[in-house]
Amino acid sequence: MAAVKETIDAVAALEKYEHGFTSDIETEYAPKGLNADIVRFISEKKGEPEWMLEWRLAAYERWLAMEEPTWAAVKYEPVDYQDLFYYAAPKQKEGPKSLDEVDPEILEVYKKLGIPLKEQEVLAGVQGAPKVAVDAVFDSVSVVTTFKEELAKVGVIFMPISEALREYPDLVRQYLGSVVPVSDNYFAALNSAVFSDGSFVYIPPGVRCPMELSTYFRINASQTGQFERTLIIADKGAYVSYLEGCTAPMRDENQLHAAVVEIVALDDAEVKYSTVQNWYPGDAEGKGGIYNFVTKRADCRGDRSKVSWTQVETGSAVTWKYPSCILKGEESSGEFYSIAITNGHQQADTGTKMIHLGKNSKSRIIAKAVSAGKSDSTYRGLVSVHPKATGVRNFTQCDSLLIGKECGSHTIPYIEARNGSAQLEHEATTTRLSDDQLFYAQQRGLSEEEAVALLVNGFVRDVMQKLPMEFAVEAQKLVAISLEGSVG
Amino acid sequence: MTAVSRIDLTDASTFPTRRVEAWKYSDLKRWLREAPPASPQAEVSSPGAFDALGGEAILFANGRAVGVTDFIASGEQTLRLRYVSDAVGTGHTASARVSARAGARLLLLETHEGAGSAYVAHNRLELDVAAGAEVTRVVLVEEPEDAISITEADVRVEAGGVFRQTVVTTGAKLQRLETRVKHFAQGAHAQVDGLYLLNGSRHADLTSVVSHLAADGTTSQLIKGVARETARGVFQGKIVVERGADGTDARMAHNALIASERAEIDAKPELIIYADDVQCAHGNTVGTLDESALFYMQQRGIPADEARALLTQAFLIEVIDRIDHEGAREVAREWLTARL
Repeated sequence: MAAVKETIDAVAALEKYEHGFTSDIETEYAPKGLNADIVRFISEKKGEPEWMLEWRLAAYERWLAMEEPTWAAVKYEPVDYQDLFYYAAPKQKEGPKSLDEVDPEILEVYKKLGIPLKEQEVLAGVQGAPKVAVDAVFDSVSVVTTFKEELAKVGVIFMPISEALREYPDLVRQYLGSVVPVSDNYFAALNSAVFSDGSFVYIPPGVRCPMELSTYFRINASQTGQFERTLIIADKGAYVSYLEGCTAPMRDENQLHAAVVEIVALDDAEVKYSTVQNWYPGDAEGKGGIYNFVTKRADCRGDRSKVSWTQVETGSAVTWKYPSCILKGEESSGEFYSIAITNGHQQADTGTKMIHLGKNSKSRIIAKAVSAGKSDSTYRGLVSVHPKATGVRNFTQCDSLLIGKECGSHTIPYIEARNGSAQLEHEATTTRLSDDQLFYAQQRGLSEEEAVALLVNGFVRDVMQKLPMEFAVEAQKLVAISLEGSVG
Repeated sequence: MTAVSRIDLTDASTFPTRRVEAWKYSDLKRWLREAPPASPQAEVSSPGAFDALGGEAILFANGRAVGVTDFIASGEQTLRLRYVSDAVGTGHTASARVSARAGARLLLLETHEGAGSAYVAHNRLELDVAAGAEVTRVVLVEEPEDAISITEADVRVEAGGVFRQTVVTTGAKLQRLETRVKHFAQGAHAQVDGLYLLNGSRHADLTSVVSHLAADGTTSQLIKGVARETARGVFQGKIVVERGADGTDARMAHNALIASERAEIDAKPELIIYADDVQCAHGNTVGTLDESALFYMQQRGIPADEARALLTQAFLIEVIDRIDHEGAREVAREWLTARL
């Protein structure tokens, strides 16, 4: 088994993360550690209304009383919550009016990452790509949001949540915490207390957002946790496609990222949320990397509303993430398409929850996991049908691919049906790359690495097709890079 | 890992609650707050379902062994294992040990026969399947609807050994049938089937953990169930493939019918895999009877209730058909048909 030997050797030599550079940017920090004063500091820094400070302080109190969850199939060094900076912002003049006022160093970072911050720019490498509005979040603050005026013309609000708290406090207050309550879980409570920025999106009734919206998160400062909060509201009959990307420098330490994303879809609204998660995964020995403990949830409140989550998870040392849909509306539908690729010492415990409360609600789950190296990947999901939800349909498919002898792959789906008219189907498979297919592809002149990339891309194809075009290009490259060195 | 429960009926602190992950859907503590008083002695006069198939017998009456509790099989043998409960509001525990010597073929016919009411039964079985031995375990469970029972079986299969199991139950107030199978050495085979048919407010929990500790093992599992009225069916199946257990082939399927608006099915089929040269799959469906099939049958003059019973039987019988011993299969088939 020469290929297996090569796999092991190659994994040992693994060191590939092209977004791992650090940038020396003058940064303003809050004092290290977490206490009520830090919460006050962040709130004051953001010029928040009084009720918001109270909301944060209440969340902090709740967090103090909670215990860190341990049920996920991941192992990691405990986080010292007092040894973190909870606020790190690049020094700049208060609220830059235009791109020219933004620190050129920061612009350079985004340029390196290929994120178009100038409105006339289109995404690198994609000819004739449609416009994408970007909210760029750098450590704890949003540095720039593009296309705001153009979006405002059709009534779409797209701005940093800190700004929205000042400009549209009533709207934020109405929805913030209504999908992920403050005390939902340990990390959500922590986020509620200390979140510093993130994006706010409101699409008015009947409006189809004229362009893709995107937020790009970058952790830059060391010893810093990133806690962003995203709130998306699609009013009746609205549509929006939202993209999220994230990267971080290579560091020896583990950095914490605890975000909360809340989506509200009213009658006939549709939200498509796509993520390419490429946080630094740690080095070949498993040192460093991001702890990605994220709570993402969509509330399909309205009848016939629809939310679709698509995620490509290639980064982070440890991932703990379950984008979910609460299907309250009649005939509402939820979708979850996921590719989780782990290599090196990465661990991922990810999946989804589909909570069917509304009549004739539908959901579809397609999860593909690829584990290589010494990594561990778990799909954990719940499909639950409540007694009053008649006519519910669900289809779930989880496939896992193992590359190498030292990785693990686990599937833990929960199905709870409390209504006689539900139709639920679940299937899961776990296999390794087929020797026959590899041999066949190599016989046709592909190198072993190309053959693996081809087969893996074929394996994840169902999900790839659900990504917006801008992301699909990036994601396909990521799949190949993430697995580089995992097989001969 | 599933915490191996060491439930002791005399100590209420050992009763798991639903906060224990492995007991999430069967909250023993909720139905049994205190340790029940010990059951009195009981007489057994009724015949067992498998009597006609002959062989040796181990009999427990309210947890007390009438004769031996251990059995070692060699050559080709049949053992009837009867757990008889006849008690009201009391509890009892029975433990048996059975092993099959290398190359032996054992037909293990187990019945759980309940009379009386509101009793608590705890049954334990240790079963060793030596190299090249074959054990077929067929379990029929019938208990009063207010009884609580927990049956735990630990099965160890050595190289090339074969273990086949089919559990058929109609549930109880809270009933758990847990089987833990370990593929201890190379090339073992396990079939861990089950069937539940639940009426009223009955509950049945079929839980299994099959661990592949050695290479080239195979596991096949088919569980089917029907929950009617306000009954609750639970299936928790876990297949673990440990590092080094290459060449494992494991398949698991759970198909359930919810036959009423208020019945409930909870399922958790898990695959925990640490080896790469494996083929593992599970399928899980929850649904209702096919309306068009029902309509077709009614069109042909079959009354709706009868059509429903026929379709249910057709759905469930697949599990019975997989019992490889003809005599045991026929007994199980009749037993099930009488309860449809």
